[in-house]
Amino acid sequence: MDRTIGKNIIRFVSFLLLFLLLALPIMLLLLQWLTAGEDTVLLSIINRENLLLIGKSLLMSGIVALLATLTGTICAFLLYKFQFPFSGFYKLTLLLPLLISPYIFAVAWKDGFFWLLGNTAAIYSEAGVILVHTIVFFPLAMLITGSALSQIHAGYEEAGLMTVSFRKMMIKIILPLIRPALTISFLLSLIFSLSDFSVPAFFCVRTFTTEIFTQFSALYNFPLAIGQSVILLLICLLFMLSEARYLSDAPFFSVSVKGSVSKKYHAGNRKIMLHSFLWMLLVSSLLMPALMLTVQSLTGRTMFFAQAWELIRPAAFQSVKLAFAGACIITIIGLWTAYGKERRNHKLPDLLLLLTFIVPSTVLGIALIRHYNLPAVNFIYGTSLILLIAYLGKFGFIASRIIGNGIKQIPVSFEEAASVAGIPSKKIFLKISLPLLIPSLFTAFVLSFILCLGELGATMMVYPPGMELMQVKTFAISANAPQALTSSMTLINLGVTVFLILLLFVFGKWIFKKFQYV
Amino acid sequence: MRHLFNTIVLFMLMFTACNLSPDEVTVYCTVDQVFSEPVLKDFERETGIKVKAVYDTEETKSTGVMNRLIAEKDNPQCDVLWSGDPVRNSVLQSRDITKPYQSEQTRLIPDHFKEKDSHWIGFSARARVLIYNKTLIPPDSLPRSILDFTKPRFKGRFSIANPLFGTTTFHMAALFESLGDEKAKQWMNDIKTNGAVVAASNGDVKKRVMNGEMAFGLTDTDDAFEAKKESDEVDYIFLDQQENGIGTLIMPNALSLIKGSPQNENGEKLINYLLTRETETKLAKSCAQMPLIKGTEVPENVPSLDNIQPMKIDYKTTSEKLQVIQPWLKAWTEQ
Repeated sequence: MDRTIGKNIIRFVSFLLLFLLLALPIMLLLLQWLTAGEDTVLLSIINRENLLLIGKSLLMSGIVALLATLTGTICAFLLYKFQFPFSGFYKLTLLLPLLISPYIFAVAWKDGFFWLLGNTAAIYSEAGVILVHTIVFFPLAMLITGSALSQIHAGYEEAGLMTVSFRKMMIKIILPLIRPALTISFLLSLIFSLSDFSVPAFFCVRTFTTEIFTQFSALYNFPLAIGQSVILLLICLLFMLSEARYLSDAPFFSVSVKGSVSKKYHAGNRKIMLHSFLWMLLVSSLLMPALMLTVQSLTGRTMFFAQAWELIRPAAFQSVKLAFAGACIITIIGLWTAYGKERRNHKLPDLLLLLTFIVPSTVLGIALIRHYNLPAVNFIYGTSLILLIAYLGKFGFIASRIIGNGIKQIPVSFEEAASVAGIPSKKIFLKISLPLLIPSLFTAFVLSFILCLGELGATMMVYPPGMELMQVKTFAISANAPQALTSSMTLINLGVTVFLILLLFVFGKWIFKKFQYV
Repeated sequence: MRHLFNTIVLFMLMFTACNLSPDEVTVYCTVDQVFSEPVLKDFERETGIKVKAVYDTEETKSTGVMNRLIAEKDNPQCDVLWSGDPVRNSVLQSRDITKPYQSEQTRLIPDHFKEKDSHWIGFSARARVLIYNKTLIPPDSLPRSILDFTKPRFKGRFSIANPLFGTTTFHMAALFESLGDEKAKQWMNDIKTNGAVVAASNGDVKKRVMNGEMAFGLTDTDDAFEAKKESDEVDYIFLDQQENGIGTLIMPNALSLIKGSPQNENGEKLINYLLTRETETKLAKSCAQMPLIKGTEVPENVPSLDNIQPMKIDYKTTSEKLQVIQPWLKAWTEQ
């Protein structure tokens, strides 16, 4: 009895801490907004113009989500279900667009359009935004549906193929099985596209997010901007909660397959078609922007690589340290919330992370400033701790889902058997669950590390004065530096990130080998 | 497993350790980092006072710094705002975030370039210029006045940055102040009809002209100066320099001391350091900014304010005008 009370107290205190750190700042900001007593602000948000703008933004993001999911699913199907040379190379390189800021893509595509067609009018449009967002977000869909495809037991497909054609088996067996993954891919792409302001702002396309951004940055109209952000938040929350069932069930970035073997097909004489498709994607999603950056780096009057490296070097070290610390915290909290949700049916911490995940970066930044900028907690606001809190708010949910999926794959019977044998629950967790979860924890860590390394929206709002961060410096310098210097810095930024990912990849291989019994 | 946990905690403490020192100053800077950072580093070297800076990015268009200053009002973290134009300082002044500051150095600056109570003090100025691509338009065919942009022969050949952001917003407010609301609105509607291409930023305008996408565009002297360094095909001129012309807009950098800032004294030292001939010379050399203090040495290729006919505006009223016309500018941009 005492032990149960003790456990409940620990659980409550942990949740309270997470609530105080993350959710309270947002709730206080919303409360301030609601009690500001400006009825006109409340009324001015819900009008025909805003509703039309929301409709337009949803339509654009919906198209992006559809195209990104379709492209990602085709890629995933080719890469995860077919055996052919260099499939590992494609898997890795097609993920790289996730590491590049959408803004860089927008600039590179605009330059590419001018370089190829001598005109950029076509890309300064809704179509331009859809194109860039699709390219940026399809790797996410590829990852999610790829994981789902690799978990389909070979037996289902083989049984299907005995009676129906391959096409019919695809439609009747594979697609229904990966439906949750398709839904999540669609939703995440939609939310990411809906929340991004940098690409539509660059292409001068008005969306609901650029409207919020304009209210924040041009008119400094905080009440209206926060009110509009609340609408955006509610839309995202509605989508996410209405599909909560799928979120819980979908294989989210799974890296290991516990107890099932997926069927692989031989590419046969379709190899050329397959390579052509993947190369076409690779060119448009990675090589074209990289080529534009390289051309711009080399065609300046001066070679700027040395200067760019000098500028990036101190910031790179700092960013890597911070991303490492951020990824550690996110993984630990993600483990706690996921374990609570999957094994103890405590859903609140996970829901809290979902809430902060869908809050726009600028709103999260302002909420954190208002909450933490007090003399008593200056040790948080004036140091890197504030950034770590922002990172946790932005990416904790993703880590929680990855680890949650890993937990789901561990048969409950393992823990039950140990419990029947009288092993204390702490020991069961440390000796059984945790070792089995190492691959999922590692994946959550790597993805969090990458996301922390590139996060700009909230970082810009709260990074402590005097701190140099790679992503902030690259964009700050780009304002008026020669194009060759800016492109060199972006390339170095990308190079550093890819190098670190390769290092982690090697380390991961060792980890997976060590825990291969999993 | 416990060792692993302890190691992680130790690492995190190491990474997040902060360096608290009384001999430091915090500056929020909207001036391009590539130009402002070397000056701040020099201050650090010469005075031993550590500068902790927050810079803004092109992508976020000063959202970071301004929103931070407003959100931090009740517990300021920043000592000095170094802005690229006085608009932001005026917005902060209207929200009671800045405080007046006067010293020997501030007295060197002509009265016209500082707020009457010294809530902001100007130094090294930029001007709005017409940047053009010599291969697309010969110098003798260029518009001589901003009002010429409406002529049919320039249809679809020029670009201006989004008037809701950056110095373009201040330029438009100055035009409203100078021409009167009706005439300025008519001019803006006319340039839209004449195919003005609205670019994302001044940097984007510069790039479009350098690339040859546009024959000419409106930008700032520092952008034009950089463009000339990068390409022989680009040059710039000052508009409205004829005898009865409205003149060209001059935009000084503006410094403000933040009310209730933690290192007020060091903030004053930094302001005094920036308001020197030496700093103005450095900025003239790095980005062709024009000194406001008489007798400051400048390189030959940097224009002098003595040779430019300035637009006759009052910065305070122009900043106020800006806040009034912003909804109209927003509607214009969205049309």
